[in-house]
Amino acid sequence: MTKINHIYIIDDDPITVFGIRKMIDSVVQFDVITTHGNGKLAIEGIKNLQKENQKLPEVIFLDLNMPIMDGWQFLEEFISLPIKTKIQINIVTSSIDGIDKRKWELYNSKTHHNVTFNHKPVGKKEIIEIIKSS
Amino acid sequence: MLSGNKTSYTNYLMKQLPKATAFVSNSFEIVHASSKWETIFEYTNKAVIGRPLAQILKMAIAYWRKNPGYSQTEDSSNKSIERYVDSDGNEKWFEWIILPWFDDQENSIGAVIQTEEVTQRILYQSKLKNLALLLEEKTEIAKRGIWEYDAVKDTLYWCNTTKTIHEVDNNYVPTIETGIDFYKNGHSKNTISMVLDSAMKDGLPWHEKLQLTTAKGNKKWVIVTGKPIFKSNKYIGLIGTYEDITVHEKSKNNIRKNEHLLRTLIDNLPLNVFIKDLQSNKILVNRSEVEFCGHQDENEVLGKDDFAFYDKKTAKKLREDDLEVMQNLKPLIGRELVHTKKDGTQTTFLTSKIPLIEKEGEVYGLIGFSIDISELKQKENELKSLINVTSSQNNKLINFSHIVSHNLRSHTANLSMLLGFLTTEKNESEKQKIVKMLTDASDGLLETLDNLNEVIDINTNTNLEKKPIKLNHKIDLVKENLHAFLINNNAKIINKISNKVIINIVPTYIDTILTSFITNAIKYKSPHRDPIIELSSKKRGKYTIVSITDNGLGIDLKKHGDKLFGMYKTFHDKKDARGIGLFITKNQIEAMNGKVSVNSKVGKGTTFNIYFNDEN
Repeated sequence: MTKINHIYIIDDDPITVFGIRKMIDSVVQFDVITTHGNGKLAIEGIKNLQKENQKLPEVIFLDLNMPIMDGWQFLEEFISLPIKTKIQINIVTSSIDGIDKRKWELYNSKTHHNVTFNHKPVGKKEIIEIIKSS
Repeated sequence: MLSGNKTSYTNYLMKQLPKATAFVSNSFEIVHASSKWETIFEYTNKAVIGRPLAQILKMAIAYWRKNPGYSQTEDSSNKSIERYVDSDGNEKWFEWIILPWFDDQENSIGAVIQTEEVTQRILYQSKLKNLALLLEEKTEIAKRGIWEYDAVKDTLYWCNTTKTIHEVDNNYVPTIETGIDFYKNGHSKNTISMVLDSAMKDGLPWHEKLQLTTAKGNKKWVIVTGKPIFKSNKYIGLIGTYEDITVHEKSKNNIRKNEHLLRTLIDNLPLNVFIKDLQSNKILVNRSEVEFCGHQDENEVLGKDDFAFYDKKTAKKLREDDLEVMQNLKPLIGRELVHTKKDGTQTTFLTSKIPLIEKEGEVYGLIGFSIDISELKQKENELKSLINVTSSQNNKLINFSHIVSHNLRSHTANLSMLLGFLTTEKNESEKQKIVKMLTDASDGLLETLDNLNEVIDINTNTNLEKKPIKLNHKIDLVKENLHAFLINNNAKIINKISNKVIINIVPTYIDTILTSFITNAIKYKSPHRDPIIELSSKKRGKYTIVSITDNGLGIDLKKHGDKLFGMYKTFHDKKDARGIGLFITKNQIEAMNGKVSVNSKVGKGTTFNIYFNDEN
């Protein structure tokens, strides 16, 4: 099993956060999981990691609909950060709006990071897939 | 030979003869001449006697020579008329008579020539002849024939033209009866009989337009005139003319027919038709145009321009169009214009104007056609607004279905995930934790369903009756309900709305709307100051705009503007932010045909402007 150093979960719904954590626990070896309730807190966290020269998360689970700064706004800011490594960003949303899907395609083509699009609920199989491709 | 004395005496006698007379010897010399002869033939200063006969008598002499042994005759072959040109070049005519001259022994010793000037008579004769010719010519050209009835002899005379009109040959001899027979039975025959009768009896002239059938069976229109002639107050006959006006009458009829056709056509077209002169005065209008101008009689419209029927602005525009057409000589096709009449009624016309150009290329006016498309226009507008309503409703529906799907999915996804954990979870305390979460997820789902129901209610009850409500009365009610909340937050409400302001709204909605905006303002108050909320209102067209201004946190509209009124969108890190209030409020405002706008500055505060539509 691959070992992951740092995983980020960005979601304002505690149940989703609980679920994702629980599944990760059972299928992945990792050092740290950090959870943020909205995009703003998450991007500030990443900027702090950069400042302190700490390791950035290798996998990010990102919700779209959040207060203050939503998933898209986070993504917009995140891909503009000077990060050389390829980070696995997994959008996890309950939106089935075609606009969101097109936005994802647009962002995926704009960045060297690997961005995937997943509908809630995500299952164990998907988590394994995600971790594998990271 | 004549003796001297005797000669001189005779001479004296001869001189006094009343007519111009000359006595000529057998050797053609004038022996005697009367004074008159001398004057006429200009012998005045010359010796007449003994001179040979002058040129002027050549003919007389020729005659004499031809008949040397003639005797006095009664057959007047010894008479003739000769032309003579005097020394001044005047043309004169003389009638002469030549008679033998005898001496006592009845010996012929010469001839007596007597002359009389007949120049005047000759001139009259030739003038008469010319006149007759002229008349004949004239009647032929004018197709105007002459007829004359001699009542004494009971004969009817037709000139050649009259005969031509009747299409009879030149030998035809008419009578009053056959003449009448040519007229068409009915009106024409009755009329001619009547006028003939009254002319003969009462001496009345006539002038009638009648129809006749010619000898060849052709129908003709003629103008027949006649008047009685009298001699010494006694009626002796009738004289008159015939004029063939068939061609004229036919073309007149054709013109009349065409005119009638054209008139019927333009009067029955479902268009307003008009012709204007260079000053834009109407010089022809059809019935629709007359009626549109509010009249029955076209004379009320003719000669007037558009300023007489439309308001100044419309009339000015129409005149500009007229001038453009007449100056550029180019037709104006399909111009759409709202015409406002003096009484304020409006009609949308689709008008075409075409310049009227004479053969010489000079423009003398224009012809216009207008079709009333007001109804069409109204239908078009209704259709447009219907399309707007439909597309906005369609958008709302798509939005709503996304909201529904998203919100239901987020809860059901959680439920399904948690149930998945529960079936495999062995740890008892973990199991309880999961069940607790399941309950939360289920409650969330129920709440979401309630909220969605509320939104559906608002959007399906768009026909809720609006009532005029005193705005301040409602504000006071809301303030009372929020009393404790306001005190707890140290909030102050400044109401600048006049007590007179009345808005037309659904009463139950206004409570939610006011409560939602006021609590929102206080929830997102600045941590540095106590909340102050200012309410004001103004009237803009069909809207009463109520503004609610706070001094709270403010929202970055660039980032969140599009999500401000979205469902479950929150922008502040506040625990009790549910993101449902503004969404429902907006739906209620829109259900009353209103709208809402927002201004905000982060750190300063926010103003919501609510447009209440006062129309039903």
